Amino acid sequence: MLEIRSARKTFYKGQPDEKVALDDLSLTLQTGEFGVVIGSNGAGKSTMLNAVSGAMPLDRGQILINGDDVTNTPVHKRAMRIARVFQDPMLGTAASMTVAENMLLAELRSKSRTFARGLNPKRLADYKERLSILGLGLENRLDTRVELLSGGQRQSLSLIMAVGGSPDLLLLDEHTAALDPRTADLVMGATVRAVDALKLTTLMVTHNMQHAVDYGHRVIMLDAGKVKLEIGGEEKAGVTVAKLIDHFSVKSDAMLLGA
Amino acid sequence: MMEFLSSTFTSYVALVPVTLAQSLILAFVVMGIMIPFRTLHFPDLTSEGAYPLGGCVAGVLIAAGVNPALAIIAALLCGFAAGCCTALIHLRFRIHTLLAGILMMTMLYSINLRIMGKSNLSIFGTGSVFDWAPFVTPGFPAAKIIIAGIIGAAVFVALNWFFKTEKGTAMRAVGANPAMAEAQGISVWVSTIGGVGLASAFSATSGALMVQSQGFADVNMGLGILINGLAALMIGEAIVGKHSVFRQLLAPFVGAIIYYQLVSLCLAAGMPPPDLKLATGLFVLAMLALPSLKRGRGGAPAREKFRE
Repeated sequence: MLEIRSARKTFYKGQPDEKVALDDLSLTLQTGEFGVVIGSNGAGKSTMLNAVSGAMPLDRGQILINGDDVTNTPVHKRAMRIARVFQDPMLGTAASMTVAENMLLAELRSKSRTFARGLNPKRLADYKERLSILGLGLENRLDTRVELLSGGQRQSLSLIMAVGGSPDLLLLDEHTAALDPRTADLVMGATVRAVDALKLTTLMVTHNMQHAVDYGHRVIMLDAGKVKLEIGGEEKAGVTVAKLIDHFSVKSDAMLLGA
Repeated sequence: MMEFLSSTFTSYVALVPVTLAQSLILAFVVMGIMIPFRTLHFPDLTSEGAYPLGGCVAGVLIAAGVNPALAIIAALLCGFAAGCCTALIHLRFRIHTLLAGILMMTMLYSINLRIMGKSNLSIFGTGSVFDWAPFVTPGFPAAKIIIAGIIGAAVFVALNWFFKTEKGTAMRAVGANPAMAEAQGISVWVSTIGGVGLASAFSATSGALMVQSQGFADVNMGLGILINGLAALMIGEAIVGKHSVFRQLLAPFVGAIIYYQLVSLCLAAGMPPPDLKLATGLFVLAMLALPSLKRGRGGAPAREKFRE
């Protein structure tokens, strides 16, 4: 379960271009719930995700994961519980390291690292099996450096790395936005399968309204650092792209997204 | 012409064993440059101060009658501390790695002088680790080749093992992608401080061995060691490559051996020693410029994006 309690974050405090990115934002995500976050640019989506992951400290407020206050826990310690897939395929993987080494790093996310040999035969067999689910042939390229993979392959690898070890919370930061439509569908399909199968508590930020309609248990719309609208339960089933776009306050945004 | 070639060849061949001994000792500095530069993506200049630091510490201890092996261990620990300081300056104050290294090596110059109390110190005639070489007469290059070779092989095997362990893989990830490493639960601080410290420990070890090999310590012995080490690393990487842990670790040793043989060849051919730094600098420049020259006109962006 994720709880964000009255989170506040102001950029450029005291300067003329002061900007309140999170305005006492509160949000609760139940264990196993899949929340989809939408909102126009500057609404605070990325700030919220960074605050949850620990990459950005809050001015005020609390972040709780499964009831434990992690507000002051640094990123690498929060990583025991949180897995994240970034928008940029380059960010989520270590480019100069091999596919297998990246899988190893992810596997050790929630464990303490020892002086034992990293890539043992048992692990390699396990990685082969987990990567074969994607159907991209990555299982035969365990020794390939990640920089030689395509963006879609890298992002799929990031996803497999993130969902392995069943994190308490999965953060997806527009993770299909940088991909071509076909690859985006493939990665999204793999995401939904993994989230369903492992019952992961997931927070996904997206600009793709169709994804917001199709996937997840609840749509959360942010505006000016606050939760403007939440659509869950029965209502979520009946929602359409057009209805969602109507809720965007800025007209130009609605036009842009409708086009 | 033939006469020149034959005299060059004769004096070069006579120098081969001495040069080999020297290069095996200096291979540790090259290792100390490679680890931050390649494994951690932390261009580090501390070695220029850590190498004489190791030399001064070992020199003073040996002159005071301390066991030469213990003197090396003390030098190693001092080097480790120096490297940790450089990494800390960078991490805590967000100072660029190169500047942190320059600060550290400048400060180390005074510290080295303080340690020795004078600018040079002779330990000629006292015992050294090279006296313990089996089968050979102490004092000859063969003894140095054997001892430095054994230590080098041990370091290579140990690092090749370490960088494939869970902890070692995590350390490499910090160099490859710090943001990703952090998101995978790896502490960037611990890995950077430990890695840069380890590298400077190697540089200091090299200094301690060199002092025992040449019989004196000098506060200026580090002058230009960095550019020599960098040149050696470039040669090593050009020959054995750098795309696996094994190759990347082998490169400093292969590079050091070949580079110092080339230097010796140049000197044997009558190149004036003062020109050596210019030649080395031009060589490193050429190696670094090669990728950009291959790309053709335009080149790289004027300012590289620095990692904070």
